[in-house]
Amino acid sequence: MRRQLRSRRAPASPYAYRYRLDDQDEVNQNYLADEEEEAEEEARVMVVPNLEEEEEEEEEEEEEEIEEKEKEEEKGQGQPAGNAWWQRWQIVSEYLWDPEKRMSLARTGLILVIYFFFYASLAAVITLCMYTLFLTISPYMPTFTERVKPPGVMIRPFAHSLNFNFNVSEPDTWQHYVISLNGFLQGYNDSLQEEMNVDCPPGQYFIQDGDEDEDKKACQFKRSFLKNCSGLEDPTFGYSTGQPCILLKMNRIVGFRPELGDPVKVSCKVQRGDENDIRSINYYPESASFDLRYYPYYGKLTHVNYTSPLVAMHFTDVVKNQAVPVQCQLKGKGIINDVINDRFVGRVIFTLNIET
Amino acid sequence: MAKKTLEIYSVELSGMKDIEQTDKGNGKEKYRGLKNCFEPKKNHRKEELTKELDLDDHKLSIKELEKKYGTNIITGLSSAQAAELLARNGPNALTPPKETPEIIKFFKQMVGGFSILLWIGAILCWIAYGIQYSMNTSSSLDNVYLGCVLALVIILTGIFAYYQEAKSTNIMATFNKMIPQQALVIRDSEKKTIPAEQLVVGDIVEIRGGDQIPADIRLLSVQGCKVDNSSLTGESEPQPRSSEFTHDSPLETKNIGFYSTTCLEGTATGMVINTGDRTIIGQIASLASGVGNEKTPIAIEIQHFVHIVAGVAVSIGILFFITAVSLKYQVLDSIIFLIGIIVANVPEGLLATVTVTLSLTAKRMAKKNCLVKNLEAVETLGSTSIICSDKTGTLTQNRMTVAHLWFDNQIFIADTSEDNSNQVFDQSSGTWASLSKIITLCNRAEFRPGQENVPIMKRVVAGDASETALLKFSEVILGDVMEIRKRNHKVAEIPFNSTNKFQLSIHKTDDPNDKRFLMVMKGAPERILEKCSTIMVNGQEQPLDKNTAEAFHTAYMELGGQGERVLGFCHLYLPADEFPETYTFDVDTMNFPTSNFCFVGLLSMIDPPRSTVPDAVTKCRSAGIKVIMVTGDHPITAKAIAKSVGIISANSETVEDIAKRLHIAVEQVNKRDAKAAVVTGMELKDMSPEQLDELLTNYPEIVFARTSPQQKLIIVEGCQMQNAVVAVTGDGVNDSPALKKADIGIAMGITGSDAAKNAADMILLDDNFASIVTGVEEGRLIFDNLKKTIAYTLTKNIAELCPFLIYITVGLPLPIGTITILFIDLGTDIIPSIALAYEKAESDIMNRKPRHKKKDRLVNEQLAMYSYLHIGLMQAVGAFVVYFTVYAQEGFKPSALINIRVEWENSNVNDLEDSYGQQWTWYQRKYLEWMGYTAFFVGIMVQQIADLIIRKTRRNSIFQQGLFRNKVIWVGIASQIIIALILSYGLGSVTALSFTMLRPQYWFVAVPFAILIWVYDEVRKLFIRLYPGSWWDKNMYY
Repeated sequence: MRRQLRSRRAPASPYAYRYRLDDQDEVNQNYLADEEEEAEEEARVMVVPNLEEEEEEEEEEEEEEIEEKEKEEEKGQGQPAGNAWWQRWQIVSEYLWDPEKRMSLARTGLILVIYFFFYASLAAVITLCMYTLFLTISPYMPTFTERVKPPGVMIRPFAHSLNFNFNVSEPDTWQHYVISLNGFLQGYNDSLQEEMNVDCPPGQYFIQDGDEDEDKKACQFKRSFLKNCSGLEDPTFGYSTGQPCILLKMNRIVGFRPELGDPVKVSCKVQRGDENDIRSINYYPESASFDLRYYPYYGKLTHVNYTSPLVAMHFTDVVKNQAVPVQCQLKGKGIINDVINDRFVGRVIFTLNIET
Repeated sequence: MAKKTLEIYSVELSGMKDIEQTDKGNGKEKYRGLKNCFEPKKNHRKEELTKELDLDDHKLSIKELEKKYGTNIITGLSSAQAAELLARNGPNALTPPKETPEIIKFFKQMVGGFSILLWIGAILCWIAYGIQYSMNTSSSLDNVYLGCVLALVIILTGIFAYYQEAKSTNIMATFNKMIPQQALVIRDSEKKTIPAEQLVVGDIVEIRGGDQIPADIRLLSVQGCKVDNSSLTGESEPQPRSSEFTHDSPLETKNIGFYSTTCLEGTATGMVINTGDRTIIGQIASLASGVGNEKTPIAIEIQHFVHIVAGVAVSIGILFFITAVSLKYQVLDSIIFLIGIIVANVPEGLLATVTVTLSLTAKRMAKKNCLVKNLEAVETLGSTSIICSDKTGTLTQNRMTVAHLWFDNQIFIADTSEDNSNQVFDQSSGTWASLSKIITLCNRAEFRPGQENVPIMKRVVAGDASETALLKFSEVILGDVMEIRKRNHKVAEIPFNSTNKFQLSIHKTDDPNDKRFLMVMKGAPERILEKCSTIMVNGQEQPLDKNTAEAFHTAYMELGGQGERVLGFCHLYLPADEFPETYTFDVDTMNFPTSNFCFVGLLSMIDPPRSTVPDAVTKCRSAGIKVIMVTGDHPITAKAIAKSVGIISANSETVEDIAKRLHIAVEQVNKRDAKAAVVTGMELKDMSPEQLDELLTNYPEIVFARTSPQQKLIIVEGCQMQNAVVAVTGDGVNDSPALKKADIGIAMGITGSDAAKNAADMILLDDNFASIVTGVEEGRLIFDNLKKTIAYTLTKNIAELCPFLIYITVGLPLPIGTITILFIDLGTDIIPSIALAYEKAESDIMNRKPRHKKKDRLVNEQLAMYSYLHIGLMQAVGAFVVYFTVYAQEGFKPSALINIRVEWENSNVNDLEDSYGQQWTWYQRKYLEWMGYTAFFVGIMVQQIADLIIRKTRRNSIFQQGLFRNKVIWVGIASQIIIALILSYGLGSVTALSFTMLRPQYWFVAVPFAILIWVYDEVRKLFIRLYPGSWWDKNMYY
């Protein structure tokens, strides 16, 4: 009730609120006395858009007042120039803090300060929460990996699309594939691999026990493993002859291990249409599989030099001048390659359209 | 009172106010505009008033009338003539008001409020798809779906609002039952009964007691006919009719009977002079339908709120659209951001919630006998600051009742309450015995048979109002009146007529030893006194001297001064020798004495106030509501009733009173000294709008008497110009324009005419003025509770909006999807926000002033600031913590998420690395994104529970209010949780809804934030209570 009364300006509604019951008269007179200045205070304090106009008006009025005061003082006193600055300061300070009206810019300032502290504490809270969050999660192992399992598959070269359209006789149409592959394989250079990584025994997991935070060693995967698709012998990766090489890699997942003794294999075929559109594919390494020694992956923080194993598919005899949809699937125990919504889990689909 | 009004008359129903009816210009301009147009309006009204007087048929002789209307009073019109006139003038029925076609009402719902904004959103969706399709024909249909969902949301909420409106309008259907009315008419020299609709001007009709007058008729011959004009003029007394021209004004003259008024007794023959819309009633009806519907305060508030929210939505939307474009986002993406921002900002479910809340209150009020026709009117009563009440039938019982008695030089007060049972005055005096005998015997009124089990006051009586009052009075005190009359056999009688002004009857006495005849007489006191030579005091006859005559006059003036109708009673025992038992009395030759009676006493009657009214008026007063009486009745009666119900309080005086007390001229009195004013229609006519304004401003207690329907309208307008929210109560046809004009018109359900009910927004089923107080209370409560509901609903908008802003600026994967937002707005949040309508008041809401129309807004800046910038931001932070937790635990730490947006959303990138070096396919990321949506959704939901709890109160601590008092809140919380569980675990596999299963622990991540919100709000309320009026209070109390 008190609030309701206070929010009213007396002159705006002369009759409806002037009338009050007898027992309230005393109180009301106090309200009437306060109301005008309070109303102005309120108008100042408000910060909501639809009141901005009013506020501006008020401010303008205030400014006018100040100007008037200035003029008055200049006329009435005609003080020397030295005092003008003092007067100005007084005016400014009055603007900032007007003792009569008990309101000023300082109020607006106060709001800003309060909001600042409120948001500062909110920021502190969120920081605290984030800090706690980081305390609870390990930097080496993700808490949950079930969303990223089963592994996805990706191919290289990759240039915005999974359609390989090129004309053998026009190098411009395939040159970027070559560049992309070359770039991608830089990290697989034999020299680099030999320098950084260890040659570990094939056919078994490369398990490195020990503390979580210990740096882990990585197994070598040399570019030369890819033979004809390594770009070492044929720098055009077969594109110049219409026998393109496409590299396939399996997405890294921390802790993922293929079934023991059953490495994940890759097999490609025509996805739709005539099976014979692709007459032969050469796989490198010849096993067409990802060797067990490249697993498990220990995460980017400790397993710094981990090199994803690759399988290169050399499409040596593909029907030319026609789009051939190719599906390459991972095969192996625990591998899922038939998720309807996700066309990149355990398989990858691309089209080859080689023109001569 | 069996005042059955069967008129087939209705005025336009005031349907739900259209929110979309935009109110151009700000309040000030509106006010100024009103002021400007007031003057011509009033002149216009005056013209109408004079136009009414154009009717001069009452002045014409019968011959002139016959000539004018080409009829014959014996043979009537010929059928051919009648058919021709009927074809020319149309049927004798009021034109039904134009109804807005249903389809237009329906479409109005589709474009009102936020719908426009959502339509824009939907259309943007389709445009976005169009752009996508033109670039890539295999683009996903997501945007089409979203557009369809938005359209569906608009259509569903539109249908819902339409249904609610239709339902509340249907309540009125029962009142519109049309009973075909018959009229007895002379045509082709034959008496025929035809439907009243077929009456034409010039028809000769016959009416009998109990009939409704079928058209405006000029009475040609009359036998003791009395009509009830109360629905037209507000006079509760039956008006005698005669065929003589008695007054210049057609409303006052006795030889006119008005359409739709009732003939109470007697018979009459009349000529139809006006039919259908040209009747007086028809003119008032057209006045009523000409009055525009005022927008309800709540409609204005909701519109204001819609403007605020839409303003925020559009400005943020456009701001970020520009930002996005300048950040080199594609236009397509920017459009999608814009859609998201609009959807996040618009509280889709809110308007439906408000409608439900209002209809819940309407139901609650209907249980308390306030039937609300127009849903939005539920709140209007709460913000009412002036009630203009009709007197007859609203404040009073609309039946004459004995109020005072004077005998033995003393005034006795009779009980005037509704059942009259408690008559406490001294009944031992011998004078009373005589008086009661006169009252019983000198009375022609009789109870209709077969009402033995009906309470006396409710029995139907054949007879006029005063006689009825006397009959009931004596029945209550003496018992079986009819039996007493039988024992005192009536031998002769002169009924009351206006020339004699007395009624006389001669009876045998019931005392077998007394062979004298008893002659009893009642009538106008001064006439009765003239005929008396003695007066009975304490059962003894005494000569009537100057002193007793003076005492009589004092008593007569006193009772008359209270607006009561006074009757004098006297008797005379005829000497047995002169008038033996066999004597035959002849009333025509008056072969019996008519003077030297013995005066017994006076008795005064009034239409007494309802017993609940004074209390209700006091309650209105303490609630800061000014009660003004506006009546067509006499000023003296009006003032007396006003005093007795407290509209003029006991210690306040009018200017006239002061003048009388100080023995000075009225002009000399300082007008400021008077608190009360009684203004008649004649005075009002001569007032300028400024004077009326001054009058309304200066006097807290005002009574308007002798006002015409047009003047009632002017009074209501005058009040509205002062920014008051005006409620008008009334029951008669004459009230209907004012009922329509008022912010809320309240009609009486039992005594009210259909016209009044049609024009009103609310109907008091029990005719009890006290129900208005209930209505005020409910209205104020609903306003407070709507504030809470809106605060609750607005809060999460920030939590829904922030994700988009962060998404655009920081490039995180989208934290919450548009569809998910819709599931919050229209799913989890609906029941809780309705539950807030059941919240009890925090303090005595009847002790505060009515809210100021312009200042106490439903959505004020404090509410918006607190909801948006305090709780809303806390919610956003809490929800983001849940979101980050899910992403971090799945492998994407917050740092890895920054600026990941483009790659994240590229469906060709299927080996995106997370913080651990793992590589994600696009679909795996998408699924994770949905999990993020679900997590964010759950985060908001959990914090909305806290929000719901804190919104229970605005000032008091939750613990003062009682955490468990409002059970519906807990139903709301349960519904929130259950809906969320169903969405996550039940529909988690339906990818189109983008909900996923969520690990149980994520449901609890936001709980600390929920607690924080609660604590923060308790602290806020604590400071408000501790430092009322402080800076904090001003800025943090909404």
